[in-house]
Amino acid sequence: MDELKDRSIHHTTIKICDDLRNSNQYQNLYEDIQKLVSTSSVRLDDFKSTLLRAMQETGLEADLRNKIYRWVKTKKKESNPYDAFFRKAQIHWDKRIHKSLNSMSSELGISLAKSRGNSEKEELLSKWNELSNFETDIHKYRPVYAPKDFLEVLLALKGPSKERDCHKWEFAQLPLKVKNLSELRNVYVEISRGDQILNSNSLSNNNQNFAIFEAERVALGEKILAKNYAPLAQEYLKRGCPKGLRARLWTLLLGAEVKSPQINYFETLKHNVLHYDLMIDKLIIKDINLTASNDDQYFVFEDVLYQVMLCFSRDSEILKQLPNQPAFMQVVLKGRPNTTENTLVFPPSGVIPFHGFTMYAAPFCYLFNNSTELYFVFRAFYLRYWHRLHRVCASSQGIVALCLQFEKLLQCYEPSLWNHFKKCRIHPLRVVIKWIMRAFSGHLPPEQLLALWDSILAYDSLEIVPLLAVVIVVFRKDNLMKVNTLANIEAVLADLSSIAVVPLLQMALMKDGTA
Amino acid sequence: MKISFCTDLDKSVVVANCEKRGWLQVGPEDDWNVYWAGTQTCRSLFSVDSGYRMNDNQIINHFPNHYEISRKDLLVKNIKRYRRDLEKEGNIMAERGDSKYLHLDFIPVTFVLPADYNMFVEEYRKAPQSTWIMKPCGRSQGSGIFLINKLSKLKRWSRESKTPFQQQLTKESYVISKYIDNPLLIGGKKFDLRLYVLVTSFRPLKAYQFKLGFCRFCTVKYDSSVAELDNMYVHLTNVSVQKHGGEYNSLHGGKMSVQNLRLYLESTRGKQVTEKLFDQISWLIIHSLKAIAPVISTDRHCFECYGYDIIIDNKLKPWLIEVNASPSLTSTTANDRILKHKLLDNIFNIVVPPTGTPDVRWNKIPLPEALGDFELLIDEDLVSLNENGESGFSRNNSKWK
Ligand SMILES: Nc1ncnc2c1ncn2[C@@H]1O[C@H](COP(=O)(O)OP(=O)(O)O)[C@@H](O)[C@H]1O
Ligand SMILES: [Mg+2]
Repeated sequence: MDELKDRSIHHTTIKICDDLRNSNQYQNLYEDIQKLVSTSSVRLDDFKSTLLRAMQETGLEADLRNKIYRWVKTKKKESNPYDAFFRKAQIHWDKRIHKSLNSMSSELGISLAKSRGNSEKEELLSKWNELSNFETDIHKYRPVYAPKDFLEVLLALKGPSKERDCHKWEFAQLPLKVKNLSELRNVYVEISRGDQILNSNSLSNNNQNFAIFEAERVALGEKILAKNYAPLAQEYLKRGCPKGLRARLWTLLLGAEVKSPQINYFETLKHNVLHYDLMIDKLIIKDINLTASNDDQYFVFEDVLYQVMLCFSRDSEILKQLPNQPAFMQVVLKGRPNTTENTLVFPPSGVIPFHGFTMYAAPFCYLFNNSTELYFVFRAFYLRYWHRLHRVCASSQGIVALCLQFEKLLQCYEPSLWNHFKKCRIHPLRVVIKWIMRAFSGHLPPEQLLALWDSILAYDSLEIVPLLAVVIVVFRKDNLMKVNTLANIEAVLADLSSIAVVPLLQMALMKDGTA
Repeated sequence: MKISFCTDLDKSVVVANCEKRGWLQVGPEDDWNVYWAGTQTCRSLFSVDSGYRMNDNQIINHFPNHYEISRKDLLVKNIKRYRRDLEKEGNIMAERGDSKYLHLDFIPVTFVLPADYNMFVEEYRKAPQSTWIMKPCGRSQGSGIFLINKLSKLKRWSRESKTPFQQQLTKESYVISKYIDNPLLIGGKKFDLRLYVLVTSFRPLKAYQFKLGFCRFCTVKYDSSVAELDNMYVHLTNVSVQKHGGEYNSLHGGKMSVQNLRLYLESTRGKQVTEKLFDQISWLIIHSLKAIAPVISTDRHCFECYGYDIIIDNKLKPWLIEVNASPSLTSTTANDRILKHKLLDNIFNIVVPPTGTPDVRWNKIPLPEALGDFELLIDEDLVSLNENGESGFSRNNSKWK
């Protein structure tokens, strides 16, 4: 038995070492260690223990630990017997999207990809920091799809067992397991226990206790940052994050530090934007125009978002790192012979934005002034979480499971409300899908939103998103019961500016709450 | 008793708020309890000729000589006098270092033209490459403002304006202020803060700051080059200026909330510097009010809500630009409407005593729950209570004395 265990640890170790060696951060680590070895603190006669000590002292050990911690996260695999079914559904959806891109391209007479002319390249370069002044005609472009279109796709999933296609508007027939309230209580222990959690709403009880608690949290947070230890950062976030430390703690947790390789990488993405004119750029610009540019919370960051979103579309690492690689398009540059050098994946990231995609990045503008730093944290978030919110998959973190979770929670939390929706023939998901798909970005005020995202990281799970959606709907129950049209229901749920995330979640999860 | 109100402003936010309270709208000739008036109306009401005498159950939203703070030249004059007086007293607040006031240096160096022309030239010569801003003393909404980077431009201006303006010049004086050429930029754009301050009494001073102000952004990137000196979309943050620009967006109106500014600053620059900035803002508000307190003809029927214009520079130092006695109550966006509704609602909660009937004999110490989104800045009654150890009231007022 023990031997078996040993052997499995041995295997894991080999796997970790292999993967580390192949990762793009390896070069840095290796060079740093080489430099360390050549110093006097590492002695040849006692190589192993002096090296370990030196690594501890210089922080390289923490660095290595963090890498392994993050590696374990990415390898956390769940498999589901219905993976293939969902995968097929996603591929089918991908194809529909590609088809609509192609028809958009032919309708508008615009090629999907071409080299950018020199003058345009120069103009783009000179306006890189004020891309809102880069003139492009986007008025003919429409978002490829919106959350409600995606919901239709999800609602049409009949489930692999074709027997019951009666309840068209329920997810319940899908064979996915989701957590019920008491299971959620076990996951979100700190919230359920009613632990004191730092959040801006405690400002209203502007008392000394709050100041003391905040000072304690800041001191502890600084300590963790000094130790540079990612698992601690994750644990720390469970009890709320002081605003001044959030950017650094998130960066540490996600391993999104920017050093020279990242700066260079971001430069290549930019270079690629300057070089190629992809139709996707127009869709990105359109999306920013429709969302952030009109939003009093984000309009000031418009120019940063242009940079970040355009570069994101060129990031081929994303396509590589996504689990269940999406189906992607390949297009030949306009006016070039059909050869491999003239063919590119469209877009290189493989991600086709939907209406509101910009909102995955916008809130980070509150945390970073520097677009490169912002980019890598946003990208890490996308690779860990956001991609699951707009793709069909079986994962318990995927949009399908999250919708199902919403549905089940609402059903058992507030059956009368559920029935009211049913009587009106309005699926409650129709109203909340945009919240869930955007993880509430653009819906909650930034301060509350960042607190929500703290807990996504803290518990490394998106399950808090549908939970919050249910709580808000239940919180507005009285007003919802009074209305029966989609427009009126939407009106009741339109304004989330008064929502206080942490207290609401506590109310839902604490046993003696109203739950 | 049925409360009646009167207003000469056609602002839905005023009427809606009063009606919500069940107050009855009446004309100025009728018996009113609450008058929300324009400054002109208010001044004529208080003028000797009007012969109007208010009873104990009437309140009005302006002090008779509010222009002591809202006129650009008088504000500067009062603040300069306040500093000098403190200095004479030997008050440490008026301490100087390097000839500048250390704690009371919160308005840009300013002179009144044509009166202080020679003093201005002397100051100008110390740093001839700097930019100055010319503003007519009595106007608002950015009208008549221009920037100057050469003395010759000022001379030309005064020559040109002499002929037609000769007589007017005495009437329309200007202030010329050092231009804050290093404003804090967000997204590359200049902005200023619009904050609301309610004063219910000047002697003793009782003032409240509204937590929900906003930043007003320029629509065009900031550019301090000479070529853009005349481009008002770059330099003036007034909504009344910006909304004529091609880039104006009527959904957000170029307005971002102060809470979001605070979130951004705290997240990117840290808690300490952000707190210091906001403390300094409260500090400058209090001292600007103290500076005019001695000259305001205090009247127990009056309260006033001021719109403060503040610019933050890139070292996170706040500068007082001007104080408006009739800040705009027009709503440019949906959020703006919500904010202004709350503002009016909260003001009435504070100025009307808990009995619900305006009463000038009331001690004007509102219940804590009546403050809403206002925060107490200073109440000299409470400060003196504290000093006598009579009250357990524990806000950090002492910080502001
Ligand atoms: N000293 C200054 N430095 C920089 N900008 C200024 C200065 N004075 C005024 N401004 C800009 O001009 C605008 C209008 O000036 P202000 O004094 O408020 O006059 P108005 O009564 O016309 O609003 C301000 O909101 C600010 O954007
Ligand atoms: Mg002004």
